[in-house]
Amino acid sequence: MSWLSRLNPRGPGTRTGRHAAPTSPCTADPETCLMVFENHWRQVSRVLKQRESSVGGYADDLTAVRNHTDQMLCLLAEERPAGGDIDSPVGPILKMVVAENILDELVQWHVRRGLDPDSQLELLKLFEMLIGQSHQPLLLHSAVLQPLLNLLGACVDPQLGSPPALESSLVLLLNQVCVCMAKETAVLELIFRCGLVQQGPTNLLIFSLLVPFIHRDGSLGQQARDALLLVMATSASNHSVARHIAENSYFCPVLATGLSALYSSLPRKIEVRGDDWHALRREDWMAVSSLVLFMNSLEFCNAVVQVAHPLVRCQLLDYLHNGFLVPVMGPALHKSSVDEMIASTAYLDLFLRSITETSLLKTFLRFILLHRHDNDTILDTLLTRISSNSRLCMVSLSLFKTLLSLNCEDLMLQLVLRYLLPCTHVMLSQRRAVRETDLYGKSADKFLSLIPECCRITPAPSSERDDEPAFWGKVLGSPTSESPVHPRPSTPSRLALFIRQQSSGGQAIPPSSGSENAPSSPRGSVSSPLSPDSPVHQLPDTSEGETGYLEYLRDARKGIELCSWACRDWSAPYDGENPSPNSAPPPPPPPTSHPSLNMVQEHFSIMDRPQQRGAVVAAARAEWSSSDRDSGEWDVTISKNCISLTPRSKKRSLLSSSIPLQSSSSASVSTEMTGAVETVSQHSHSAPHTALYNGMGQVELTDSVDEKMEVKKVKRDSDVNNSMVESGMNGSMGIGSVDYNDFHVGSTMKSSQVQVKPHLQHQTSVPTSTQECLESESQRLSPVPALTETSTVPCDSRGPESVERLIEELLERAPSEPLTGDSKCQGISIEAFHQELRELEERVRERRVLSRSSEESSREYRTAPTPSLTDEDCLPVEIEQRSSETKPESYATGVFSPARPLGPPLAQPYTGPFITVLFSKLESMMQNSLYVNILLTGVVFQLACYPQPLLRSFLLNTNMVFQPSVKSLIQVLGSVKNRIEAFAATHEDFPAMLRKARRFLVARGKLDWSDSPIGVPTLRRSDSLIKSRKPSLGDLILRHTNSPTRARHAAQLALAHVRDGGQSLHSALFRGGAAGGASGLEKQAEALRVKNAVYCAVIFSEFLKELAALAQEHSVALPFPPSQGAEE
Amino acid sequence: MLRIRWSLICPAHPPFGKKQLPSIPKNAVPITKAASPASSTESANGTHASYGPFYLEYSLLAEFTLVIKQRLPGIYVQPSYRSTLMWFGVIFIRHGLYQDGVFKFTVYIPDNFPDGDCPRVIFDTPVFHPLVDSVSGELDVRRAFTKWRRNHNHIWQVLMYARTIFYKINTMDPLNPEAVVLYDKDFQLFKSKVVDSVKLCNSHLFDQPKIDDPFAISFSPWNPAVHEEAKDKMFAYKRLHKDYNKGPLVSGLSWVKPGSTQPFSKEDIPLQT
Repeated sequence: MSWLSRLNPRGPGTRTGRHAAPTSPCTADPETCLMVFENHWRQVSRVLKQRESSVGGYADDLTAVRNHTDQMLCLLAEERPAGGDIDSPVGPILKMVVAENILDELVQWHVRRGLDPDSQLELLKLFEMLIGQSHQPLLLHSAVLQPLLNLLGACVDPQLGSPPALESSLVLLLNQVCVCMAKETAVLELIFRCGLVQQGPTNLLIFSLLVPFIHRDGSLGQQARDALLLVMATSASNHSVARHIAENSYFCPVLATGLSALYSSLPRKIEVRGDDWHALRREDWMAVSSLVLFMNSLEFCNAVVQVAHPLVRCQLLDYLHNGFLVPVMGPALHKSSVDEMIASTAYLDLFLRSITETSLLKTFLRFILLHRHDNDTILDTLLTRISSNSRLCMVSLSLFKTLLSLNCEDLMLQLVLRYLLPCTHVMLSQRRAVRETDLYGKSADKFLSLIPECCRITPAPSSERDDEPAFWGKVLGSPTSESPVHPRPSTPSRLALFIRQQSSGGQAIPPSSGSENAPSSPRGSVSSPLSPDSPVHQLPDTSEGETGYLEYLRDARKGIELCSWACRDWSAPYDGENPSPNSAPPPPPPPTSHPSLNMVQEHFSIMDRPQQRGAVVAAARAEWSSSDRDSGEWDVTISKNCISLTPRSKKRSLLSSSIPLQSSSSASVSTEMTGAVETVSQHSHSAPHTALYNGMGQVELTDSVDEKMEVKKVKRDSDVNNSMVESGMNGSMGIGSVDYNDFHVGSTMKSSQVQVKPHLQHQTSVPTSTQECLESESQRLSPVPALTETSTVPCDSRGPESVERLIEELLERAPSEPLTGDSKCQGISIEAFHQELRELEERVRERRVLSRSSEESSREYRTAPTPSLTDEDCLPVEIEQRSSETKPESYATGVFSPARPLGPPLAQPYTGPFITVLFSKLESMMQNSLYVNILLTGVVFQLACYPQPLLRSFLLNTNMVFQPSVKSLIQVLGSVKNRIEAFAATHEDFPAMLRKARRFLVARGKLDWSDSPIGVPTLRRSDSLIKSRKPSLGDLILRHTNSPTRARHAAQLALAHVRDGGQSLHSALFRGGAAGGASGLEKQAEALRVKNAVYCAVIFSEFLKELAALAQEHSVALPFPPSQGAEE
Repeated sequence: MLRIRWSLICPAHPPFGKKQLPSIPKNAVPITKAASPASSTESANGTHASYGPFYLEYSLLAEFTLVIKQRLPGIYVQPSYRSTLMWFGVIFIRHGLYQDGVFKFTVYIPDNFPDGDCPRVIFDTPVFHPLVDSVSGELDVRRAFTKWRRNHNHIWQVLMYARTIFYKINTMDPLNPEAVVLYDKDFQLFKSKVVDSVKLCNSHLFDQPKIDDPFAISFSPWNPAVHEEAKDKMFAYKRLHKDYNKGPLVSGLSWVKPGSTQPFSKEDIPLQT
């Protein structure tokens, strides 16, 4: 209600003295006043009557009338209501005014004589004074109201118009009227009725006068908006007025389309120095007038939605959606230039952060989640941006952080949960484990164990202590050294963690750090059930890890509590049972329609020097083979209706025979499965995967899983297992439709698709025209041609024809661009390439298999029977079918019928584009800039705060066994760990660099703390503050609205930079100028690479502590009961 | 929920009466400080010694959370102020032989939890019961949890077991042979002994807690001045945090119709799009 409370004090008192009102006779007694008034009125009425007889005006008359009127109205304004008489507490003057209809006569006279702007202004001011200062509710009397409306009606007259000089008086008067209206609700009704009588139902005068000022800047616009808001609030309970506003005024359309107009005048390019900029803060936009204008109007919309009648609210929201979001925001978000994408994303983020009204937020979220622009939802589009180059990535991450902080079920459903709902990502036997929490810190332990050995830092030798952080900044090109104008870091305050991190260590901190503990005190208020003497509290000054860890625990607890409180009214717990995995509609298939999702990040990167490339490729290979994925040899198992990837050389026969059962049944058979079968699949699966992923004993796993299932314990050596499997196979599962083809992909398909294709054709009898076939399948499989291009088009063969187009292509279809070969991200590019090929193959095969099996198994469900389908034709058909195929009923009857193969065609488990893009970004942590990593880990942290078991178990339960094709967070982190360690091993000075990086971050964190204590900016900054910022940011955010050349220039720079091998666009833009030749650039690129890697090592370790803390806190969190009925 | 609140209120009670503190049963486990970090880490979680204390602490917290979630009927527990390895509890028996019994007890959790033995349960006053040692008041927990298996066994099960024994008498392998003999041979006498025992326990209800600890459970006669307010709070209690009411946005948003998995399926106000 800040709006209203802000309005109310603006009463009569604020403007006393502005009117050169005659010295008030108010001290005199009422009778004397009345006599004086009567005297004046006599003078005036004489003039008025004269006018009636003779025509033509005399200036003398006018002056006389004015003077007398001034006096009269002052008397009226000063009059106090008559005491005693309760029924009509009307003062004598007012009584006379009403009786003789004095005001009306006055106004009539003016109007008749032709209202010149001067006297119009004078009258407006008089009325404003009268209404603003009167001690009596004047407007309740139609003798006052009517002339006022007449006057206003004259203002609305197009011939007279309201010249600019009048505007401020007019708005002020209207504002006063509205204030009165807010005080006396009856006034609204009166005005409404008078309006109806006078102007007919099509015009509510006050409205039509105020609406044009809605989007004005300055105090004028503010007064108009305040006034309108008062009308809104007053009419909230008045249905007929609300209907009138909604049906007969242009209020809503003007408001909404005005936003569109204002949006279009926003800067299309946000140019801010500093690598760390990622979101518009208040102080950023306060200096940009067009943005201030827009934000004022948006704020007004928000306020209207808050106070207005539901009818008006609905209409406004409707117009906002259809008149602003869809036609303006939608295209803006899909602009092709990177700058515009950055700007529009940052704007959207800002808008979302500024909105407080639930229903307005809903409108925005609807737009983001459901509106399709060129076939993609806005959400899809935004998701792809995370994988782009760093500034756009940062802005997008920031936006998603905002979105996640809304704790909105609908959003989370679309973003993540719907992909996890079917539970196909976990092994069937693990379904129950979804709800388990990490009781004994196993997962936390696992996360902590991933902290690279090289990052367990030892205190610096004292000699190194004093050169910080300036030296570090210079050496590694730290952001602070680059952005003198922008000294305060805008990185998330999570960075403040680093203060704590070090404060306990003691040695690594300069002596001046005594105040460091202060910042953590505001957070320390979280009530902790830990008793003060418990081990946690007793922690002596042990290693720095622990005390820092305690802070992480606190943060985690706070995050989880906040999140689960906010989610308490969600429609379902999302625990793997409710909503039921079987009832969930199949999530959209993997993002074949979004090649950029999978590929941008890996391939969109910077050309590297050839010599570097060789080494890196080798490293990547080594890393690939040594990673958690084991030997790199994978078996692909194909049965009628499922494909599985399993590591080779581990109990192969066992696996190949059991996996089909497992995965084909996992979607919906769970209830039909017998205990025996479950045991079989469970054992056969847990063996390789525990070893592979978690390195945990099998006992834990099996123990943890089926507590309530009365399954006999089985000895877990492989012999028994084998026999179990066999008996299981022969006994209960004798459905002879399993038809495996083993063949290995993995290592054989090293780098080109040419090698892969024969496999495909051979093994799955894809027709020779694989390519055509794929292409015919709409855009789903578009990566294939793209990939082919990658391998065939020689690098650097194309020149920069159209820079903008190139950038666009880089973002949209990165893999097809030779420019993006490998590079900064080489570490993963090969691995990723393999991964993509594999996934692609799987998809192709899956489609094949699916289409076949669906053809066999469900002829009756076919809507379009195509008995003579060629292989090519099958593909598209199958896709359409899938949604209808996965219905559990259609399937349950056929489970054990030998005539049918097992199960419905199953989608490859897919955890959704958000997870995919976050994970792939995490995988490339080593190459990400510091700020990308801070934001990225922040987003994952926030995601991991969600208490829904499906999400929690997916991210944080390291004991879970996922389907082989599903990558887990722990796997991703494991590969990052390996890379960090490999890097550290090749850099002697790694420990020293790490210390410097830490110290730099600590210093930065302190800066952050001291500058923004708890981070809530004051609502309205004083003007002086705004001014002081103007030279810095106001100048920096430039308009590029109509400057294609500048945009082009910027894009060229960006592209040049991309070629040069720097990571951050801006660091190259602002630092690169100095470097001369290629060797300089090369050096820079290498320095950047090292810098990113070292920072990554620091962030990574802290991130693992955060995750561990989250895992622990989740196990002790209590759910909140849903709030009853009421929203709040 | 109720349990938590209970535990929040209990420590606040001013101790009533100035009776002599009853001596601690002879073979009650001496109150140890929480496990030293070193020992607990080794046993519990191996690799990361420095984080060991957190694991133990959180394991116990998690166990306590499970207890709360179970909403065990008539059982209230509260970890000690000094050590999370010691929990104070009380059982209210609502029917059966031990009807109206209010038995205070203490749970001792081994410091290598969850890899050690099962927790011990010792009644403050030795209840006359075949499975309760007549001298020490210790309940035979081990018979139900021969081997403590992490992930399978939880402390709430122990508490549940401690309650069950008063409803279903098991005479096998007793800790109190006398009780079994009576139960088998002279049930009437057994019953009267039980009644005496219940009376005895209840007569000590308002005693000072046996273990001096700020979080120990102490009873006092109803005193409106003290308890009325607490009771009102209890019933009006809403688990709200002041932080949560700050921003309107934290309230959490959902427009999903229950049972649906479609966004914006709960459409109350039609928006024509």
